[in-house]
Amino acid sequence: MIQFDCQSCQKRYKVGDELAGKKVKCRECAQIMQIPVLAEADDDDEPLIVAQLAGPPMRPQPPPTARPQPSPISRPQPAFAALASQRPPLQPQATSSSRANASSKNLSGTTADLSYEISQRPDFALVRIKLQAGRKILAEPSAMVSMTPSVKLEAGIKGGLGKTFGKLLGGESLITNTFTAENEPGEIMFAGGSAGDVAYQRLEGQTLYLQRGAYMLNTEGVEVTGKWQGAKGFFGGEGLVLLKASGYGDLFFNSYGAILEVDVTDGFIVDSGYIVAFEETLDYHVTVLPGLRSGGKIKSLFFGGEGLVCEFSGFGRVWIQTRQVNSFLAWSNVFRPAKSN
Amino acid sequence: MQYEFLSRPAMTAAKLTLDAGESITCEVGAMIAMSRGFNVETTSRNKGGSGGIVKGLKRMFAGENFFLNHFTATSPAQSLFIGPAMLGDIIHYPMTGGTLVVQGSSWLASTSGVEIDATFQGIGKALFSGEGIFWVKCTGRGDLILNSFGAIHCVEVNGEFVIDSGHIVAFEDTLEFRLGKAGKSLIGSFLGGEGLVCKFSGQGKLYYQTHNPPSFGKLLGPKLKPR
Repeated sequence: MIQFDCQSCQKRYKVGDELAGKKVKCRECAQIMQIPVLAEADDDDEPLIVAQLAGPPMRPQPPPTARPQPSPISRPQPAFAALASQRPPLQPQATSSSRANASSKNLSGTTADLSYEISQRPDFALVRIKLQAGRKILAEPSAMVSMTPSVKLEAGIKGGLGKTFGKLLGGESLITNTFTAENEPGEIMFAGGSAGDVAYQRLEGQTLYLQRGAYMLNTEGVEVTGKWQGAKGFFGGEGLVLLKASGYGDLFFNSYGAILEVDVTDGFIVDSGYIVAFEETLDYHVTVLPGLRSGGKIKSLFFGGEGLVCEFSGFGRVWIQTRQVNSFLAWSNVFRPAKSN
Repeated sequence: MQYEFLSRPAMTAAKLTLDAGESITCEVGAMIAMSRGFNVETTSRNKGGSGGIVKGLKRMFAGENFFLNHFTATSPAQSLFIGPAMLGDIIHYPMTGGTLVVQGSSWLASTSGVEIDATFQGIGKALFSGEGIFWVKCTGRGDLILNSFGAIHCVEVNGEFVIDSGHIVAFEDTLEFRLGKAGKSLIGSFLGGEGLVCKFSGQGKLYYQTHNPPSFGKLLGPKLKPR
């Protein structure tokens, strides 16, 4: 079986080996392309879109088996940007990895303070951090899963009163746990409170805004505080105060659902409940969904189920989550027992 | 339209890429994010004008919303991210003129060539199949996007196939189903926790989900604060 993507529209095809080297026309965009001679179809890949060149894409669904996790490889850059950025043109050996579910791959990397690996994504993301001797990690309470004995844990209020209060308004705890690798390197595991994903961002002076409760942990050098959003926050449904992370260091944040990265270049609209984080370089305002007539817009606002949305403009990255806790709560509400008198 | 499913199977989101003029109809509230070049229209009609209040009401009974959101791209290569409310997977089903019967709440989106309507499967099935009273009937040609609670499996039924109630996502209408008991005796079936099962016969595709929402709800219910 050979897998390859159309160079111009990225439609994926799977064809039999006997067609190797043949020229075919893409069914979607009529691009002429050559089927690569040898492309590995890895077995742990889902039988993605089995689009035979002749027929419509029909496929049986794969069983929900856990995909074997690839062994951790240190990569300098997070690899899940593939979603937002343009996928590379036809590279037979890379098709399955670039296409197949970039969000289930492990993320790993090394910085001056630590090396990290985020595994079990996107459903049950677990962060493993190897901390250099003498370095510190600041984390929200109860995020720690395990640690080696060489790591010292200290709970306390970090930063001044104003900063702490800001964090509190931003949906975080007053208390910050400080993990220090004393004398020798240590290893700590962290996980979020709910089933979901963890994202990583290296801060080099830029500023990131995080949704209420999304903050997880950071290294020294990153400053996390609350930022008053005013009316935008009120109408956007994200809370009046967003968390603001800035400085130089590593930042980890988490969410319910998987996290997708989108690089905004030409305006992007996100349902306000699905925003996890965004870069400060992006401008946002709260609006309604675009419609043809103003009457239609009002109808969409009240009955379209999306309510108000956030429109981002400028250049920068936004992280969105694929599920919302509130929808789950609304669903489970039906099953609550009736109050007995 | 092109589609891509991300973060499968539990947190799946569908990324749809539409060209100028193409449009897709989505379940209300399904939109996660989108590019700027879309017009959104909320109506109770199918795209193109058929339907209306009666169809909207029927849809409501089928577990869907009275309203539908139509997204029409106004410039090329616009992307739309959609996802369901619950944990679970998303599949694509190409409609080629046949009919697919979808469990209420599993319909997520469809292109404009697909007509969606509610259908009644009979009083017995309504009460005991563990699904809704009405089903969503999809006909026409185009792309259909369905979601599930848990992962989705597909079986090509040829002959007979038994599935526990509450697990059906969708089936082609070349299949017939009737309710039956799981074991030999009715009491044994109920004690075994399976109760009534759905027995499919005929030839066609059947999609089912690995988890069923009522079971999960019953597990959660006692732990929640009374309302």
